[in-house]
Amino acid sequence: MHTNKNVSRRRFLKSSGALAGVSLLRVSAPSLLAITQAACSAKQSSAAFSVLGELEAADFAAIAARIIPTTDTPGATEAGVIYFFDNAFAAEMSWALKPARAGLEVLNSGTARFSLLTEEQQDELLSAHASTDFFELLRITTIFGFFAMSKYGGNKDSVAWDLIGFEGHHGAWENPFGHYDAEYAREQSRGQ
Amino acid sequence: MANKVTFEQRKAVDFAIIGSGSAGGILAKELSVAGFDVVVFEQGPYRRAQDFTHDEYSVLFNSELLGGGPEVSGQTFRHDGSEVAQSPQQPVIRYAQTVGGSSVHFTANFWRFRPVDFKERSLLGPISGTNFADWPITYEELEPYYTKVDWEIGVSGTPGPFDAPRSRPFPMPPLPIKSSGVLLEKAAKELGLHAQVEPLAILSQPHNGRAPCIKCGYCMFFGCEVGAKSSTLATMIPLAEASGHCEIRAESAVFRIETDGNGRASEVLYYDAAGNERAQKVKAVIISANGAETARLLLSSASERHPDGLANSSGFVGRNLMFNAHSAVDGIFEHPLNDYKGAQVSRIIHDFYETDEQRGFYGGGSIDARPLWAATPIFHALLGMPPDVPNWGRKFKEEMAHNFTRQMSIVGATTSLAVDRNNITLDPKNTDKWGRPAIRTTYRDHDDDLAMAKFLQDRASELFDAAGATKSWRHPIHPTNGGEHLLGTCRMGDDPATSVVDKHHRSHDIPNLFICDGSSFVTSGRGQPTMTIMALAFRAADHIKAAANAGDF
Repeated sequence: MHTNKNVSRRRFLKSSGALAGVSLLRVSAPSLLAITQAACSAKQSSAAFSVLGELEAADFAAIAARIIPTTDTPGATEAGVIYFFDNAFAAEMSWALKPARAGLEVLNSGTARFSLLTEEQQDELLSAHASTDFFELLRITTIFGFFAMSKYGGNKDSVAWDLIGFEGHHGAWENPFGHYDAEYAREQSRGQ
Repeated sequence: MANKVTFEQRKAVDFAIIGSGSAGGILAKELSVAGFDVVVFEQGPYRRAQDFTHDEYSVLFNSELLGGGPEVSGQTFRHDGSEVAQSPQQPVIRYAQTVGGSSVHFTANFWRFRPVDFKERSLLGPISGTNFADWPITYEELEPYYTKVDWEIGVSGTPGPFDAPRSRPFPMPPLPIKSSGVLLEKAAKELGLHAQVEPLAILSQPHNGRAPCIKCGYCMFFGCEVGAKSSTLATMIPLAEASGHCEIRAESAVFRIETDGNGRASEVLYYDAAGNERAQKVKAVIISANGAETARLLLSSASERHPDGLANSSGFVGRNLMFNAHSAVDGIFEHPLNDYKGAQVSRIIHDFYETDEQRGFYGGGSIDARPLWAATPIFHALLGMPPDVPNWGRKFKEEMAHNFTRQMSIVGATTSLAVDRNNITLDPKNTDKWGRPAIRTTYRDHDDDLAMAKFLQDRASELFDAAGATKSWRHPIHPTNGGEHLLGTCRMGDDPATSVVDKHHRSHDIPNLFICDGSSFVTSGRGQPTMTIMALAFRAADHIKAAANAGDF
């Protein structure tokens, strides 16, 4: 085996990380406490993480919460995305734990831990790092955790699927499926 | 199963078939039902319908059915021979490693080639710098076998205005039209084009004891858990096993074909599930491992007598790789389409199938409407978002939430010209998890292929406008860097100097070595090769049976 995993992952993250520009968000900042409480309640029990420490978990959870924020609808926090991070970093994405930690260290090298900043400060800081491999890794992992089946730890109660109108993965559907084929069927039956 | 057989490794079996996919599954059934003893080697596991999941994270992002990503395959890629091939994060050559092969995870778009596909070189003349050639067979010779595929494999559909003549109707009506199909049809009408029903290798009605489609939407890249998708796993393999003459030897990765003192294939060397080297004695070998694996196996089987690999006196093994180039335009509509439900494609446009010299370049293609990225949530969030929307934060979230059910793609698929520089070779450094030399892919589309992709993309944008999309955007067309359609690498032909197999799929060099899969293609078609692979396999089986009965190898 001569494949160089790290180099290739890096290139992937780069190539998929085209970012045009990020508008600053103006939402009221829930406190760290609120985030961790929501994340804990997202998982039925508040069992300890398997690979993540509490502080870094709070930081990753806060980053995920800016990538898919809580608005009038659930975001990464309510979906329990941090539990996906913990599971994935312990298993199929174990390669990502080290770069994620290294990136977090850089992010936290300023005045305060990421999770202690206001949301405005967090967005500003993430915007400044938006073109890094680290941010792209966190972005992709957040999306995985938000939308992957609940058995991976996130997407609690299918909140992510509800958000986008996806009715779930176990469907046996009947047509018409959508507006336009329903309309088509009505026209066809009128025509006959 | 009552008739399950196993064959001794030291006793020569009539046929070893390498690969259980679109071609291998059909050859296994045809030969075993005719009474020949067959061992089918499949490197992947023996998954059944009930083993397939709707787990997008695992199937699309952790290569569940692909046997793992480049970490285990060692695959490398480069655009041309002057570059050192690199190991990318995503698989380059994407095929399912499972009994039934890629017929298990393909999207099941399923149309016949047309007569023109087989004789385009004669009609259009040579194209310099390419290996553009006619097939040694015609549509008319293949037609009975297309019909056999329709009825034995199971195809739903209804003929379109430009289709080739058929000797029997479709065995069952099409699946229902989707919103994407309705919008494509409406737009086509407005632009004077002809949307037609997409034939699918998916049952719309019970057929040959199999249940019809439940419209779950998990066709593209997923296995069908009700067996309604007409994979060889669902159709041919059960018949082969029931014959009492076929052993499916799963988790058995072939690494070499051994030849004897007469230069004939004599033994198949493989790794069993535990990684131990095994050898199966054979009377004849059929390689149906796909356009990448077949070439790798032949090149890996080099010996003193065959220094450039088996069946490679022409030097054409691995050459002329054709992927079909693609383009995509995405669009959003006012109301929900919910296009994630049901099979991907319900309508296609074949008005641009044939080469039109007024376009200024060779090639033709197809257009279809489908959810594509909007079939599953992660895919959509990562790849299906408009370029003018930030890729994180509140706006990103709002856009995902609004678009997922309202989005579709119009996809163009094109011809690919056969050129020397596009090929499969053995990577000089990398190996796969079994220790076999890794597949190295070198590929840069011919300029005409990309021009055709651009042409179809322009039409797709017009179609979105005509359909009344509130917004549409193009995915930039880049040179192809991987694919699922693995065509041309052991092409068929009458001249042993410029082809690997004859018109009956027998290798020119080795009388008891046959090759039948996408590698046999001489030209690429317009984007949906599987039905032709299957028709070729039924046809090859007839010739191989006749030759075997005549003691002709």
